[in-house]
Amino acid sequence: MFSTVTLSLLEGFFGTLKLFSLTLLFSLPLGLLISFGSMNKNVVVRLPIRFIIWVVRGTPLMLQLLIIFYGPGIFFGVNLWGSGDAGRFTAALVAFVFNYACYFSEIFRGGIQSIPKGQYEAAAVLGLTKRQTFFRIVLLQVVKRIVPPISNEVITLVKDTSLARVIAFYEIIWEGERFIKSAGIIWPLFYTGAFYLVFSGLLTLLFGYIEKRLDYFK
Amino acid sequence: MAILEVKNIKKSFDKEEILKGISFNLEKGQTLSILGSSGSGKTTLLRCLNFLETPDDGTITVNGELLFDGANKPSKNDDLREKRLHFGMVFQQFNLFPQYTALENVILAPKLENNGRSMEEIVEEGKTLLNKMGLSDRMDNYPHQLSGGQQQRVAIARALALKPDILCFDEPTSALDPELTGEVLKVIKELADNHTTMIIVTHEIGFAREVSDEIVFMDGGVIAEQGTPAQVIDNPSNDRTRKFLANYLK
Ligand SMILES: Nc1ncnc2c1ncn2[C@@H]1O[C@H](COP(=O)(O)OP(=O)(O)OP(=O)(O)O)[C@@H](O)[C@H]1O
Ligand SMILES: [Mg+2]
Repeated sequence: MFSTVTLSLLEGFFGTLKLFSLTLLFSLPLGLLISFGSMNKNVVVRLPIRFIIWVVRGTPLMLQLLIIFYGPGIFFGVNLWGSGDAGRFTAALVAFVFNYACYFSEIFRGGIQSIPKGQYEAAAVLGLTKRQTFFRIVLLQVVKRIVPPISNEVITLVKDTSLARVIAFYEIIWEGERFIKSAGIIWPLFYTGAFYLVFSGLLTLLFGYIEKRLDYFK
Repeated sequence: MAILEVKNIKKSFDKEEILKGISFNLEKGQTLSILGSSGSGKTTLLRCLNFLETPDDGTITVNGELLFDGANKPSKNDDLREKRLHFGMVFQQFNLFPQYTALENVILAPKLENNGRSMEEIVEEGKTLLNKMGLSDRMDNYPHQLSGGQQQRVAIARALALKPDILCFDEPTSALDPELTGEVLKVIKELADNHTTMIIVTHEIGFAREVSDEIVFMDGGVIAEQGTPAQVIDNPSNDRTRKFLANYLK
């Protein structure tokens, strides 16, 4: 029984992992773009972006999932996501990417704005271009500062993926819960916790390693 | 002909005029020190020369080349890069790049400048500069592993690496513990002895008297008095200068 459960939970965990990794893949670069927008000198660009960030960070991800999944049908009468599992996954991914991009953008903004003006000025008087200044001087210092908060968000994301089941996205908890109905046993549901723990434990080690690698400068 | 001619530089912040028309000349190989009380506009003047601020008016000419003309101001997107390389800048707070070693800080800009010099040549020159600063055993240290005095000497080497026509210092020892100022002043003195053209904003009156060919005393955004150290420091004709010096020599 244990190996049957483990195998089917692994299958569910594959869904979790897929949502997790694709969310990271898209939300990190999108977050960087949004952070540039939120720092734009032009208010017409900056304010709407800050507003969107405020809304996204100020409402539950679960609600955003429901709105993104059901919204197009209810408000516009279009079946944007189709009916199959693929559609559910895409809808969940869009909601997660958007939500996490907004969180990441604030971390990026904080990191970029924390670089002292003196660094830009020193680069400028040495004749560095804007591009060189960003890539050679600013970027690594920003990365060093944002690794700890990014690490927090990423570990939260591992657990947040379970929210996708409100739109019936198939992931590990869904799989664990199935055993209650089909076999009348509840321990597989608790067992899912071990998967989360091991995975977030690995991520903690990874981020710890990255932090250590960046320890050589202050 | 003067290497630097500054004429009628004006600069306001928020409608308050901070520089009210500054003019002076500097001869090649000479050292000019700028004295003046806090808020008189010394830093603003240096920042204008380095194009960290855009003057509202006036002209800046280096080696006969008009770099800045208030009547024909550069637009935002104009490339100031070439122009600002005539000047080097040493900041009060050093502003070293923390992720690079001392040597890497010094050679970064020459490397990126890409003017046909070989990598070995650039590295050799960087090492020579750091040697001159007395940092031969500190080349591979990161800024946080260096004392303030050592960091400032790296910053001086970094500015020299681009061979600026004029090297500017903004209170290079003000952020240092008193026992560390000596080592920095010593290398600046050596530069002066080797006829590096320099503009030094400082509160170290004794040092200014020792190294300068020319002293400018600024007050309220204007040059109140200018002359040799013997004139301005030992025998000031302006009341403000006298008051200022009395405060410092106490
Ligand atoms: N970016 C700025 N925006 C507004 N005001 C400024 C700015 N930079 C300088 N000022 C003002 O200009 C005046 C002159 O400043 P500046 O830093 O040039 O003085 P300073 O002679 O270098 O003084 P200190 O000896 O304290 O360094 C000050 O009143 C300062 O508040
Ligand atoms: Mg100043």
